[in-house]
Amino acid sequence: MLEARRLVKTYRAPSGAPIRVLDSVDLVVPAGRLAVVLGPSGCGKSTLLNVLGLLEDADGGDVVWEGERVSALGRVARSRARARSVGFVFQSFLLLPSLTALDNVLLAGRYAGRTGPEARHRARELLARFGVLERQDHYPPQLSGGEQQRVAFCRAVLNDPPLLLADEPTGNLDDANGRVILEALRARARGGGAVVVVSHRADAVEMADDVYRMHLGRLDAEPVPAGGQG
Amino acid sequence: MVAVLLRTLRGYAFTIAGIAIGVAGIVALGAMAERIVRFIEGGDRFVLGQISVAGRGMGMGTGFTAGGLLPSSAIRAIAEVPGVASVQSQVMLPLNPSTSQFMTLTQELVMGLDLAVPMPNRHYREFPVRDGRFLRAGDRRMAVVGASFAASHGLRVGGKLTLEGEPYEIVGVLERMLTAPDRFVIVPIEDARAQWIAKDPLLRTALASGGVALQASDLNTGAAVGWRDGEEADAVARRIAERVSSVNVQIPSELSGLLRSSTAFFSALLVGIGVLALVIGGLSLANTVAAAVFERIRDFGVKRALGATDLQLGREVLGEALAVTLTGGALGVGVALLLGAAVDGWAARTGQQLFLFSGRLLGGTLAFSVLLGVAAAGYATLRVVRLSPAEAIRRGA
Repeated sequence: MLEARRLVKTYRAPSGAPIRVLDSVDLVVPAGRLAVVLGPSGCGKSTLLNVLGLLEDADGGDVVWEGERVSALGRVARSRARARSVGFVFQSFLLLPSLTALDNVLLAGRYAGRTGPEARHRARELLARFGVLERQDHYPPQLSGGEQQRVAFCRAVLNDPPLLLADEPTGNLDDANGRVILEALRARARGGGAVVVVSHRADAVEMADDVYRMHLGRLDAEPVPAGGQG
Repeated sequence: MVAVLLRTLRGYAFTIAGIAIGVAGIVALGAMAERIVRFIEGGDRFVLGQISVAGRGMGMGTGFTAGGLLPSSAIRAIAEVPGVASVQSQVMLPLNPSTSQFMTLTQELVMGLDLAVPMPNRHYREFPVRDGRFLRAGDRRMAVVGASFAASHGLRVGGKLTLEGEPYEIVGVLERMLTAPDRFVIVPIEDARAQWIAKDPLLRTALASGGVALQASDLNTGAAVGWRDGEEADAVARRIAERVSSVNVQIPSELSGLLRSSTAFFSALLVGIGVLALVIGGLSLANTVAAAVFERIRDFGVKRALGATDLQLGREVLGEALAVTLTGGALGVGVALLLGAAVDGWAARTGQQLFLFSGRLLGGTLAFSVLLGVAAAGYATLRVVRLSPAEAIRRGA
């Protein structure tokens, strides 16, 4: 389960003026549920995801993973917690260009202490499941956007983390590839994970268990549209 | 493992090229400096290995001592001074008398040695011979030539050299010593004396007149004096000056000081070259490595997002920096060696060698490069890990 309690985050504009992007945000995403956060550009959706995934510190409030107040951990413990408990899917894929598709997936295992044949086997299995096994030795620039995102998804779930955070995961994909990724996220939630997705896509909302809208740093629950919940 | 390393290095191709250029610059400039250092050190080593004596006067000596004729009576007197182990008569003449004697260390000289006496110089008991053999007592009309002299005159063992109209057989070529003897023609002293007379009309006239009490053995431009074990060279030199009249004695330490002061300009130039090479090459290298790390800031952000700790990331960056600087450094050394070989190949036609790629230079440059590369990478890494993963990803986007 993922829980955020009274998260506060303020940025400074170039003029020096404070911009509060998270204003006492509360959020609970139980295991087995997929939450979608909607909102206009610049409303703080990505900041919320970063804070939830410990990629960025909040100015106030707590982040709790699986009952542990991870926002209070030190740097090393946070890194280990990230490696162990969370997977990220980014809009721009963020694959390392110097590594092959397979090595990009295995990178997640390296920092979680999962290396060796077992990790390679699981990585290949994931690549096969997402139809990119034959591309395992290709480098990211040799892959299409859809293929890159599928590889990135494999990397995110290699360690089978209980939490999955996706920031506009379909933003750079066509409809067919976007659908593949959203279904994978949905399947992840059905498999027991807690999944948070920031997305503009209507079909993402259709797959959501919970929908939230961010506005002026506040997060409000919205009714799940008909046809939702997968 | 090797494949991963090669793949990593391929990603750093431009960085490696940048480092290679910087290192090649350091090595090439350093090799030129080494060449000059070896020349100065060789001269210093030579003058500290013997006491050089000439007759009192000026104008006759052309070698390491300026002075007048050193007759055989003076040589015998020197040999009797306490502390003296041996005295070797010498004749040093410019190969081309029309050339100024000012640049004695770089001009071509004929050196006549009394081969009946072993070389008294403690640092040069014998000249290192590359091809053929050195001169022996009893040789006549035979010559051993320095490496630069042989190259510039196209001489080899068995070849002929004409000196003052007389043919000489080349019996040996010295190893390249990167100092004055590289331009020497060494002959038996009797032959050198004959050349001296042939070169000097005034001396010829004086000898022919019979008005001067001179024998062939009196025709010496100087002598190399060796001292006994346990003796102090400067003390023996001062003793010779006190006890033997009409001689100019060079005190070894003073001559060394003189040599060093006369080469002070070169020494200052060397320091300048060295500092410039290190600053320019070092800055280029450090900047290249740091830029390479900063360029990958997004990758480091991603790795931290995936759970890399600061230590893991630091280890990876430093490992890569080490591999990259070592590869770039080795490439740079290779480029400098190729460049040096090409330039020296061209310069060899005139008997010159511009570069000296010593082990200490190559090893030192590589160590310097690696240390600087790792330090630059370490600094850049510290800057990168201070950022949150999200900030690193944002900045690298």
